[in-house]
Amino acid sequence: MPAVQDTIDRVRKIDVDQYKYGFQTEIAMDKAPKGLSEDIIRFISAKKDEPSWMLEWRLEAYRRWLTLDEPTWARVHYPKIDFQDIYFYAAPKSTPGPTSLSDVDPELLRVYEKLGIPLREQEILAGVQKTDASELEEVSDNVYKSGRVAVDAVFDSVSVVTTFKKELAQAGVIFCSISEAIREHPELVKKYLGSVVPTSDNYYATLNSAVFTDGSFVFVPKGVRCPMELSTYFRMNEKNTGQFERTLIIAEEGAYVSYLEGCTAPQRDENQLHAAVVELVALDDAEIKYSTVQNWYPGDAEGKGGIYNFVTKRGDCRGDRSKISWTQVETGSAITWKYPSCILRGDDSSGEFYSIAVSNGYQQVDSGTKMIHLGKNTSSRIISKGIAAGFSQNTYRGQVSAHRKATNARNFTNCDSLLIGDQCGAHTVPYMEAKNSTAQFEHEATTSKISEDQKFYVMQRGIPEEEAIALIVNGFVKDVIQQLPMEFAVEAQKLIGISLEGSVG
Amino acid sequence: MNMHTQPQRTPAETALIDAFGDRLSLLPGDGAVMLKRDDAIEAIKHGLPTRRIESWHYTDLRRLLNAVPDFDPAAMTKAVAPIVEGSAVLAILNGKSDAKTPAVEGVTVQRLSEKLTDGSVAPGLDPYGSDDAIGALNTAFVADGYFVDIADGAELEKPIELQNLQAGGQTHVRLMARVGAGAKAVIVERQAGEGAALTSSVSQLVLGEGAEVTWLIVQEQPETATHLAQFKAHIGKNAKLTLFVMNAGGRLVRQEVMVRTTGEGADFKLRGINLLAGDTHTDVTMVLDHAVPHTASTEVIRNVVTGKARGVFQGRINVHQYAQKTNAKMACNTLLLSDDGEFSTKPELEIFADDVVCGHGATVTEIDHDHLFYLMARGVDEKTARGLLVKAFVAEVIEELDDETIVDALEAKLDDWFVTHG
Repeated sequence: MPAVQDTIDRVRKIDVDQYKYGFQTEIAMDKAPKGLSEDIIRFISAKKDEPSWMLEWRLEAYRRWLTLDEPTWARVHYPKIDFQDIYFYAAPKSTPGPTSLSDVDPELLRVYEKLGIPLREQEILAGVQKTDASELEEVSDNVYKSGRVAVDAVFDSVSVVTTFKKELAQAGVIFCSISEAIREHPELVKKYLGSVVPTSDNYYATLNSAVFTDGSFVFVPKGVRCPMELSTYFRMNEKNTGQFERTLIIAEEGAYVSYLEGCTAPQRDENQLHAAVVELVALDDAEIKYSTVQNWYPGDAEGKGGIYNFVTKRGDCRGDRSKISWTQVETGSAITWKYPSCILRGDDSSGEFYSIAVSNGYQQVDSGTKMIHLGKNTSSRIISKGIAAGFSQNTYRGQVSAHRKATNARNFTNCDSLLIGDQCGAHTVPYMEAKNSTAQFEHEATTSKISEDQKFYVMQRGIPEEEAIALIVNGFVKDVIQQLPMEFAVEAQKLIGISLEGSVG
Repeated sequence: MNMHTQPQRTPAETALIDAFGDRLSLLPGDGAVMLKRDDAIEAIKHGLPTRRIESWHYTDLRRLLNAVPDFDPAAMTKAVAPIVEGSAVLAILNGKSDAKTPAVEGVTVQRLSEKLTDGSVAPGLDPYGSDDAIGALNTAFVADGYFVDIADGAELEKPIELQNLQAGGQTHVRLMARVGAGAKAVIVERQAGEGAALTSSVSQLVLGEGAEVTWLIVQEQPETATHLAQFKAHIGKNAKLTLFVMNAGGRLVRQEVMVRTTGEGADFKLRGINLLAGDTHTDVTMVLDHAVPHTASTEVIRNVVTGKARGVFQGRINVHQYAQKTNAKMACNTLLLSDDGEFSTKPELEIFADDVVCGHGATVTEIDHDHLFYLMARGVDEKTARGLLVKAFVAEVIEELDDETIVDALEAKLDDWFVTHG
């Protein structure tokens, strides 16, 4: 088996230390003492200037959390997390609520520049543009042509800046940090927060409910098509901090919004915890498209350090004919534990999940989705592509269920895994539950390695091996990449290349 | 979720633990066998598995096993005619094997009670793991069964039929078989009875180099019975095992299939038909280990769900790190014919080797309207047309078996079921 031997040799030479966002920035930070207690939660709530109902909500979640045990069913292994050894709140000191970019610490701006997130350029461009109403309409008609993106930047525990706020406000769209929303739009937050992921949902979601420090809030009112892509960039900088952000997106009747999140963190030897909650609500005829490019620090070649990414993401298709679509490109994190789900409650609603999970080094991924069919004529589609290399473990875990009243529920699931090297593992664990005779579920999964024939075909045309493999891998994930907004599709493709570097010769 | 609760014992758990105390002096075997029994009952004292235990996610045994009947010495029944005429029948009636066994050339049959008494089967009594409730229950209580040894090179002309028949009460049996190198055999495992019995049955099969075996499990318990069964096999070098499972009865049924390829060139085929009706629960759970390189397996499971029946299929294919060149395919197709019925399936792949081709597919649907239309357009009434389509859906799997007498026998069973449930 010369081919196999070849692969083994290549994997031995693996070098996963290519994380280019591993830098750390010295910024004066305001931190709460280490550890978790009711006092810390009161501290966070006070820092955020929150109303008392919010504090009560947090405390209730905290008390609930104390009664829960860490879940162990996922196919991931890690030493027990000491929750008393984590900073639950860390914020850059200088900005007690920036109103424009000029108030933002230039050091911070440099961080985002390094990450390739052009906060300033976009704002400047925005300033040059005319913003009278007629112009705006034109803009919203040409969303894709304009290619502009409004960004909310979250640094450790707080949102440091949100761009394009004014222009969005003119369209009626609220896009701000969740802390701001709690203060400015309490009625909306009260109505929707925790309505998709209740405080009692699971261990990490409950923890998040108690200690979440920031995140994004999006509200798109009735009939509005959000004039630009919205995006949040999460950056974990401080040592020993946990990041607990909470995102809430609401699309009212007939509204449309496309949202993208990206994440990075410095290279550290310790593991850092990231436990986020994302809630999406789509009312009648609304559509939410949520894309993630997750590139937290994955740890070094020996599996030291890296982010524990324990995230609860759920979308509720509450209205008839509503649609929620999740697209994720997972290349980072030492451990990923996340299952973006859709509750298809409204009749004729539909849910989609497109995922690429790339694992290398000692990364462990246990990710997938849940499609819960409750309404009539609901449909869902799952395309998952897992690529495992090095010593990593890559698991797809997904559930599709049709309840008694979900007549004509329809699901198609396809999950393919690609193995590069014989020290890694690829696993598929789908759960299918049908309680209605008109349900139609189809599931297919395959696991294989890159076939020698394919490789030979490409190489025979003069393309070197590494490029040949990259080409084949890109073909393998094409179905998912196509679902990403164009700018991010390019980014995602590059990311996959970087993540697999070293594992393919 | 995940809250700490120390559950109280259910009546069924208490009944099992009490029964063990009562039966202890009657159970064959001491020393090593007794130690295994003690360990097994300890496992049961920790509680029957709930849906929190991943391998029991869809069959919450603690909740579903709500009554355990007492042992009943009067629950005798008679051996039935074998499904293939001329088979050598080895019957177990009310948990007791027959002292007289038919003589078949190349086959040595021993009563398992003797092997338990002399302790020679003790090493094989260990449960599969901490979640192996059926293995533990059986090890604790097993009193009899058969040990069948097929000599190297023996080619049996007629099937051997092992019958486990019960009319109420409790029975715990074990069927062990060793098939020598190059031997060929067809073995039928019949599980049937009357009344509301509790049966645990564990079959263990070891296939020598180049052996070829077709093992048919035909389970037709009454809709009042609880049937907990396990089939374990090791497939040696270049050996071939075709396992056919037909579930057509029982109130609470769990059939586990645990197969391991132990020699290169081993080949495993699983074909299953689950015909579910009434207010019943049937679970087929398979764990297949591809432990060595160059082995192949295919699994096809077809389910028909009617009435208020609940069906489960869990199939896990583990491909070990050194099991390169594994070729494994699994399919589970379900026809859900009633709104009160439900079917849950979890086909899993766990793969640690890279040079493999593995896949699984699963579908749940109703009858294809186009097919129905096609038949009805030709003057076939709807009921008959549906019957034809459903039957064709499962018969396809039976027809894959190449032995005609077996195909005929199984199709006859299929017809019987459609007559009573169609």
